[in-house]
Amino acid sequence: MIGIDDKEFNEEELLAQSADLLELRFLNKDNAVFARTPGGFVSLDYAGIHYDRVGVYRTFPLTEPESYISIREADEKAREIGMVEKLTDIDRDQAEMLREQLRLRYFMPVIQKVISVKDEYGYAYFDVMTNFGACRFTTHMGSEAFVSLTDTRIMITDLDGNRYEIPDINRLTVAERKKLDLFI
Amino acid sequence: MKTKIRVEKEHEKEPAKKGRRLAEELCGKELLKRLSDYHLDPETIRYAACSDMEDEHRFADGIVILAEKKLAIVRYPADGAERSFGGYARTIGAGGEPAIRIYDLDSVKKLDVLRHVSTGELMGEIDGVEYRLAHFSKSRLGEFIRLKDNLDKVKRGEDLTQEDIQGTKKQECCPNCGTLYPDQERRVCPKCMDKRSIFVRLFGYFKIYKARIAVMFLCYIVSAVLNMVYPYLSGTILYDRVLAKDERFLALVGLPGGRFMLLLLMAVVTMFVSKVLIQAAGILHGYLTSQIVPEVMGRLKSEVFSSMGKLSISFYNSRQTGGLMTRVLDDASEITSFFIDGVPYFIVNVLTVIMTAVIMFRLHWLLALVSLALLPVMMYLSYHMMPRLWSFYGKRHRASRRLNSQINDNITGARVVKAFGKEDEEMRRFEKTNKGVREAELAVASYDNRFNILYNAGENLTSFAVWGIGAALVLSNTDMELGILITFTGYVSQLNGPLDFMSYMFRWFTSCMNAAQRIFEIIDAVPRVRESEEPVVLPQVQGSVRLEHVTFGYEPNKPVLKDLTLQVEAGQMLGIVGKSGAGKSTLVNLISRLYDPDEGSIYLDGVNIRNLSFSQLRKSIAMVSQETYVFMGTVAENIAYARPEATQEEIIRAAKLASAHDFICKMPEGYDTLIGSSGRSLSGGERQRLSIARAILADPKILILDEATAAVDTETEAAIQHSLELLVKGRTTISIAHRLSTLKNADFLIVIDEGKLKEEGTHAELTEKKGIYYKLMELQTKALAMRGLED
Repeated sequence: MIGIDDKEFNEEELLAQSADLLELRFLNKDNAVFARTPGGFVSLDYAGIHYDRVGVYRTFPLTEPESYISIREADEKAREIGMVEKLTDIDRDQAEMLREQLRLRYFMPVIQKVISVKDEYGYAYFDVMTNFGACRFTTHMGSEAFVSLTDTRIMITDLDGNRYEIPDINRLTVAERKKLDLFI
Repeated sequence: MKTKIRVEKEHEKEPAKKGRRLAEELCGKELLKRLSDYHLDPETIRYAACSDMEDEHRFADGIVILAEKKLAIVRYPADGAERSFGGYARTIGAGGEPAIRIYDLDSVKKLDVLRHVSTGELMGEIDGVEYRLAHFSKSRLGEFIRLKDNLDKVKRGEDLTQEDIQGTKKQECCPNCGTLYPDQERRVCPKCMDKRSIFVRLFGYFKIYKARIAVMFLCYIVSAVLNMVYPYLSGTILYDRVLAKDERFLALVGLPGGRFMLLLLMAVVTMFVSKVLIQAAGILHGYLTSQIVPEVMGRLKSEVFSSMGKLSISFYNSRQTGGLMTRVLDDASEITSFFIDGVPYFIVNVLTVIMTAVIMFRLHWLLALVSLALLPVMMYLSYHMMPRLWSFYGKRHRASRRLNSQINDNITGARVVKAFGKEDEEMRRFEKTNKGVREAELAVASYDNRFNILYNAGENLTSFAVWGIGAALVLSNTDMELGILITFTGYVSQLNGPLDFMSYMFRWFTSCMNAAQRIFEIIDAVPRVRESEEPVVLPQVQGSVRLEHVTFGYEPNKPVLKDLTLQVEAGQMLGIVGKSGAGKSTLVNLISRLYDPDEGSIYLDGVNIRNLSFSQLRKSIAMVSQETYVFMGTVAENIAYARPEATQEEIIRAAKLASAHDFICKMPEGYDTLIGSSGRSLSGGERQRLSIARAILADPKILILDEATAAVDTETEAAIQHSLELLVKGRTTISIAHRLSTLKNADFLIVIDEGKLKEEGTHAELTEKKGIYYKLMELQTKALAMRGLED
C-alpha cells in the first residue's frame, strides 16, 4: 500500500515518487558529501538536499562488505537516497565514517577458538574466544541458528539475535571441529 | 518468585526506597556514590539499562540511568572481560574508571532505539541535537526499549510498574535450576519435571489391559527363567551329569542305574522343550504387544485430538500446527513402545542380570569374577560412546531431511528449472547434498562398527578368559568340572544383551517422559476462551453488535486494537477499512469470540458475549474469510457444514445464491464430488464461493465478510459480489475489504489505523471529510481508471 500522509492527495507527486523508486542512483566524491554530526551520526548533502542523519546499509553484507552500500533516510520508511558502488568512490575520511556505521550495524564477532560446546535439552551452550574477547552464548539446537554461508564459512545466531562468524572451519583444530560436529 | 511479591508490596508503601534498591542493584554502591558527587541523588533513580558496547564496538559496560530529573550516561572502559549472553547468567561488575555524563531530563526531548542487524543504539535528542548515547548487543535491546518507553512516564512523574522495569517477555528458565525451557511456550523444565507422577499417570492408560499385561510379564519371566536354565542344562547337566555318567544324579531324577541313554534323551527333550517354550513365550508376547499398542496409541491420540478441538485459536497460533501434529503422533508411539517394550524388558533384564550373577557366584566364584570383570568397563564405554552415536544418527537424519527438502523444492520448481535450462546446475546441487547424506551414512556405519567391534571384543575377551582360566582349572583337577565351564560360557554371552539395553534405557526413559509431558500438556490445556458457567440463551437474536473500549493484543503489551468503541444496529452493514495489519481481522476474531478482549467488552443484543452460550453465539455468526476451510467430503457435505440436516434442495438453493451451482454441476460427480485433501482440488474462486454457500445455508444473524473476494479475478468477483448483496439482506453484516467499491452499500464505515478508530461515518460523510478514506478512494479510482485505459 502506498503511504498516506496528511498532505493533499496529489497524483503527479505520486507518479514522480514511484518513478523515483525505480531509479538506481550512485553517490560518489563529486555529487555527495558525508559529514559527521555533533551527535556522532553521519549526515549527507546530495542533490541539493541536506539529510541530518542517514542510514548506511550493506546490500551484500556477507560477500561484498565494501561495495554497493545503500544510503537510506533515517526514518522508519528508510527510503533509499542512493548507493555507493565502492567505498573508494568517496573521500577517504567520509568512507571511514561509513565504515564505522557499518561496523556497528553488522557487528559480528569472529570465533577464533571454540573452548566448549555443551548441548542440553534443546539448547547449545557455547564458550568461545572471539576477536572481541571471550564470549559465552546460547543457541537453539534447531537448524536456524547455524547457517552455512559456504562450505567452510558459518554464521551462528544466538537466542538474543547476536551473530557470530566462523570464517573458515578448516582453520579450527580438529578437536574444535569435533565440538561443532553436531551443527556442521 | 517470593522476592518479586515482596518488592511489589513494598512498592506500594515506599516508592522511593524501591528506587534506591533498584539503583543499588543496577549500578552498585560505588557508582552511586560517584553519582552523588555529580549531584544525582540515588533516591531519584527510577530505571537503568546496561549497555555492553562502546563507540568502537568493543565490548564494554555502560549504564544509562533514568532519574526523576536527570539522565546519566555512564561508560566504563573496555576491559576485555568475558561476555555472556542469553542462556548464561549475566556478568556484572564492570571495572575501571567510568566516564559520566549527566543531562537534565528537561533537555532530553526524546530517546529512540535504532535497531541494527545484530546490535542496537540509543539515540537521544538533547537540546535539538541527536546524540548516540549507547551501543549494545541484541541481548540488551529489551531493556533499552523499556528505557525509551519509560522516559515519558518518568517525565510526567508517574510511577513505573514492575512490568515497566523488568519487562514481561524474556527467555524463560526454570526457577529451580536455571535451565532454559526447551520450548519457551511451555514452562516445563526437563531437569526438574516430576517424572514420577507422569509415569504413574501413564500407567493408568495400561490399567485396563491388566490381564493381558500380566500374561506378557509372565511370558517375559518364563523366557528369562528358561534362558537362565538353558545354559545349566546344556552345560552342567549334559556334561557333568549325563556324559560324566553321574549315578547319583540318575537316582535323583528317579531313574534306575545305568540308563544314561534315557537320561540323555530326557536332557535333550528338556532342552528342546525349554527352547520351544522360549519361542512360544516370544510369540505370545508379540501377539499381545500388537494388540495393546495400537489400542493405547489410538486412545492417546483421540484424547489429544478431542482436547485440541476444545482449545482456543490462540493455542494453534502459538505453535506450528504441522510440527504439533507429527509430534503428537510420534509422541504417542514413543510412549506406547516404551511402556510395552521398555518397561517389562527393563525389569526382566535387571532380574536376569542379578540372577545370572548370583548363579554364577554359586557355581564358581573365581570364574564368576572373571566373567564379570569386564562388565564395568563395557558399561562405561557404552555410556560414553552412546551419545556420540546418537549425534551421528542426528546428523544423518538432518542430512537426509535436507536432501528431501531439496528434492521437494526441485519438483515444485520444475517449471522454473526447465524454463531457465538449469537441469545440470540442479543436478550438481543435488549431487552435493547427496554426497552429504552418503558421508553421514558412512560416519554412522563406521562409528557403529567401532562400537560393535569394541563390544564384541569385550565379549570375546571375557569368553576367552573364562575358557582359558576355566580350562586350566579343569586340567589342574581342582573342584572344577567341564560342564560348569560350558554353563559359564553360556551365561557370559547372555549377560551382554541386557547390559547393552540398559545403557540406553535411561535416555529412552527421559525422552518418553518428555513425550508424555507434551501430550498431557495438550490434554490438560485449559482453553483461554471458555464458555460461561451459566450461559445465557437469547430467545431470539436480533443481531446488534456493540464494542465498548475494546483493547486487545495477541502478545502482552503489544495491543493490536486500542480502545475501540462502536455500535452496529441489527440489519446494518458495517464496512471496515484500513491498511493490512491495522487490526481489521482481529476485530472480527473478537466479535466471533475466537479470542477474548484484554480490556473492554463486546455485546450482542446488549448481552456480553462472554455470557452467551457458545452454541448460540456460533450459530448466530458466520464468517466468509480469505482462508476457506475445505474438509474431506463431498461438495454437498461441505456446504452443509454448519447445518448437516439441510435438504438437498436447500443446498442447491444456497449454491445457486453463491454462484457456485454452475461449477459444481460441471464437475463429473456434481454435488457428490469428493473434495478436500485427497479429492479434487478447487480453485481459489471456487473455494470462496463454496464458503459463501456455506454461510448462506447457515443463515446467521450476523455475517462477517473478511476479504471475501480477495482471492478471485474481476469477473468472478462481480458474480460473488452479486451473491453477497443477496446474502447481506436482513442481517447484520460486517465487511472488511481492500477494494472500497465492495463497501459501497455499507450503512456506515470505519477506518482503523494502527489499532485505533480513525474515522467513522457514511460513505458520503467520509468523502466530505477528505481524510484517510477519501485518499484511499482517490487512489483506488485513479488506479482503476489507469487500468481501464490499458484495456
